Amino acid sequence: MNLALQFLANGLVTGAFYALSALGLTLIFGLMRVVNFAHGEFFMLGGVLGWVATAVLGLDFATAFVLVVAAMGVLGWLVDRFMIERVRGHGEESTILLTIGLSIFLANATLYLAGPAPMKVPAPLTGKPLFLGPVVLTKSRLAAVAVSVVLVLGAYLVIHRTRIGRAMRATFQDAMAAKLSGIRTERIFAATFALGTMLAASAGMLLASIYSAQASVGGLVSLKAFVVVILGGMGSFPGAIAGGLILGLSEAFWGGYVSTGTVDIVGFVMVILILLFRPRGLFSLNAQRA
Amino acid sequence: MSARTVLAVSDLTAAYGNATALHGVSLEVREGETVALIGANGAGKSTTLRTISGLLAARSGRIAWEGKDITNWPADRVVAAGLSHCPEERHVWPEMTVEENLRLGGYLCGSRREVDRRAALAFGRFPRLQERAGQLAGTLSGGEQQMLAIARALMSEPRLLMLDEPSLGLSPKMAEDVFAVVRDINRHGVTVLLVEQNVHNALSVASRAYVLETGRVTAERNAGDLRDDPDLLRTYLGG
Repeated sequence: MNLALQFLANGLVTGAFYALSALGLTLIFGLMRVVNFAHGEFFMLGGVLGWVATAVLGLDFATAFVLVVAAMGVLGWLVDRFMIERVRGHGEESTILLTIGLSIFLANATLYLAGPAPMKVPAPLTGKPLFLGPVVLTKSRLAAVAVSVVLVLGAYLVIHRTRIGRAMRATFQDAMAAKLSGIRTERIFAATFALGTMLAASAGMLLASIYSAQASVGGLVSLKAFVVVILGGMGSFPGAIAGGLILGLSEAFWGGYVSTGTVDIVGFVMVILILLFRPRGLFSLNAQRA
Repeated sequence: MSARTVLAVSDLTAAYGNATALHGVSLEVREGETVALIGANGAGKSTTLRTISGLLAARSGRIAWEGKDITNWPADRVVAAGLSHCPEERHVWPEMTVEENLRLGGYLCGSRREVDRRAALAFGRFPRLQERAGQLAGTLSGGEQQMLAIARALMSEPRLLMLDEPSLGLSPKMAEDVFAVVRDINRHGVTVLLVEQNVHNALSVASRAYVLETGRVTAERNAGDLRDDPDLLRTYLGG
């Protein structure tokens, strides 16, 4: 029983991290409909740059975090304006090929420059773990969960409550109508891609302070993020949280009671089932997209 | 009828890739008028509107709005200059509420209070939209979506409203309501440039009409003349 509680806690923490890791993809893939296979590499770069800023340059975590996220925002903007923009409207295959190419480039450039070793970002919070009855949790994990919640909520509010958020949704639902209302859609595309990149990078840096950053981690992160987005429903932030938690919990219990070696299968089995029985995701509304 | 010319299009050409769609369209719209572009499918009516509003690049020719050359301005600048284009097939944002759709029509208006005022005006004109303000636009009927598209296009308070096939796919009764709205908008001082397949509907609201044929203007007539002379109409529209 105590073990089950610990699995539950671990699953919730991992689930929150999954939700956070998938947040940028919820925006870029779920809402903007760009199938972004470089998502995991943006996440990885956030961790590696975070390591450079803290462990190499000696900045404190908060300053480094702001700088890294800002730099990744610029990168995301440039990628959209100079790469994605060229294939926009030419079908999904071109975008998929483009982002796969980009992911290979980013992973190998990082491997070349920083090497294959794990890079640990010094954790902003240290100290004794907390004991809640039979459950053990570290402070840095709890803090990361709190930051995840804030970021997910923040992204949700930006998309649903602000002028730019409304312009984003309008642009992705019907770009022509958006143009005719005076929205500069090319800027909206770039801004959304930049925001998604920033969210991926902040997740990467945050998690690199708990685990570590590694040049080759991108592929797995991308795959899990796609699992979370598809589980939760395209473009839905509450769905991303639920998708993350479901994945985290199922992996924790599968790993705890069945076998740890096959944990990564769990998510994919769930995605296959979802695509077969509820292709719009567990929590999507039934409204049609144009 | 000697009002000043607000929109002057001269010798406009445009193409989709290699397929030339406009071969030198010239037309004028005077302040306060309702002008119809009529002609068969593929004659270039919608393309003319798309080129004016900046969705499609002009290959050559000139578009002048209130004396300014606005040829190939980006769409947002055209809207800001006082032209609004309500596109064919309505193009409301299906997963946004009626109210969000409406308010986004006033996107370029910096003042929230001004957008409030314009939205209140729109809801006054279209009580049906007020009733459905919180509903997703994708769940509206075709006629309601058309009303929403027109209301949204008016949110930028244009001086020229370009309407593309507003009666498309609507019941005759609904189409009549839409044209009543167009007349009302025009009475309130908005100049209207209307594209319509249904010639009789078009001529019932327009004062003048241009006939387009394969990317060219082949005639320009008072709407009354065309209305009263079915033979003349048949000559231009080929049946």
